Amino acid sequence: MIDPAHAQAAAPGAEGAGGLPQFDISMWPGQIVWALVIFAVLYVLFARVFVPRIADTIGDREDKIAGDIGDARRLRDAAKADMDAAAAEMAQARAKAHKVASEAAAEAKALAAARQAEEEARLAQVLSSAEARIAEARAEAMGHVRGIAVDAAQAMVARLTGAEARPDEVERALDAAQA
Amino acid sequence: MAAIDPMEQFLIHKVVPVNPIAVPVIGQLDLSITNSVLFMLIAAGILALFFFVAAKRQIVPGRMQALAEMTYGMVDGVLTGGIIGDRGRPFLPFILTLFLFIATLNVLGLAPGGFAVTSQLAVTTALAVMTFLIVIIVGLVRNGLGFFKLFMPSGMPLPMALGVMPIEIISFLVRPLTLAMRLFGNMLGGHVVTYMFASFVIGLGVFGLTGAGIAHLGLAGSAVSFLMIVALTTLEFVVAFLQAFVFAALACVYLNEVVNLGHGH
Repeated sequence: MIDPAHAQAAAPGAEGAGGLPQFDISMWPGQIVWALVIFAVLYVLFARVFVPRIADTIGDREDKIAGDIGDARRLRDAAKADMDAAAAEMAQARAKAHKVASEAAAEAKALAAARQAEEEARLAQVLSSAEARIAEARAEAMGHVRGIAVDAAQAMVARLTGAEARPDEVERALDAAQA
Repeated sequence: MAAIDPMEQFLIHKVVPVNPIAVPVIGQLDLSITNSVLFMLIAAGILALFFFVAAKRQIVPGRMQALAEMTYGMVDGVLTGGIIGDRGRPFLPFILTLFLFIATLNVLGLAPGGFAVTSQLAVTTALAVMTFLIVIIVGLVRNGLGFFKLFMPSGMPLPMALGVMPIEIISFLVRPLTLAMRLFGNMLGGHVVTYMFASFVIGLGVFGLTGAGIAHLGLAGSAVSFLMIVALTTLEFVVAFLQAFVFAALACVYLNEVVNLGHGH
């Protein structure tokens, strides 16, 4: 490809002539070989070292992010389950407390009702005995009234007539007056 | 005054001379380390060093690691994954190396005192032909003789297909040339234009300083040229990455054709 004579002639010719030095074919083989060798070395470095390393790192990062998101999701679900359990326990406790409270209220009400009935019965008894006593007293008083009336009638008869009235007559007269 | 020669920057000169080796068939092979080879070595060294430092295994990446992983993700997502699809994974190291090597060479060409290796047609041709051959080898290994269905347009009446076939073959064979010329032309053009504006900065500046009267306007021209260099350099940074991306993307497109041949990708 290279003709030494041509190479000798072309190199100085290109210096001053102002033509394109790139077309000086004598400079091509060395550049081509070096370009390919350097490219091949770079390619091996990238293919064997850099690209696998970067790809692994990116893959690891994606796995890590996915794992972390999975962990977070799992923890959230666990926390939610705990929360639900706590809420259920709370509701149960509240229902139980409600039941105890209503039972206590019913018991207290029954007790109060019983005590009230007892008291009412006692009061009724007191009342009826008092009424009996009042009726007795009244009957007694009413008996005294007739005696007083007889006495008063006798006294009045005696004062008016000067004669003693007979008790049986007074009695009869009182009966007549009462009727 | 120094001669203005925009092509001087592309001259190859030996840095470490090595005696030519006699190689059968092609004759004498001069493997001297030239400025072109030196900058390829520097680019490879920078890339290797960067990835040795940056390709760590930390779950929470630092800046360097994030940059390395972003580059990897871009090539994986947009180039091999986006163009070739799931079958593109095995080609990821090749495309990544191609993209990063070309991009680094392009940017080194923009550095002060740098040498634009990608404006050497020899290098772009080497990379393009290598890509082309890899595409053919992958095509033959994956599809056997079915590889040649690539040139046979499907769903077309036979006579018409026979007419289209030569066009397909020519457009296939011309690929390494266009691949090499596109990168070479972009880099060459950018550097020549930047050089020309730089020569205007000096030339018009000297003219404006030494001349009299209206010649002072040369200073304004010098300033405008300087602003143009700033703008062009910015543009060249875009071009540096864009052309590396285009080269890698086209390599993916070519690989896709042979990898997904008959799979209706």
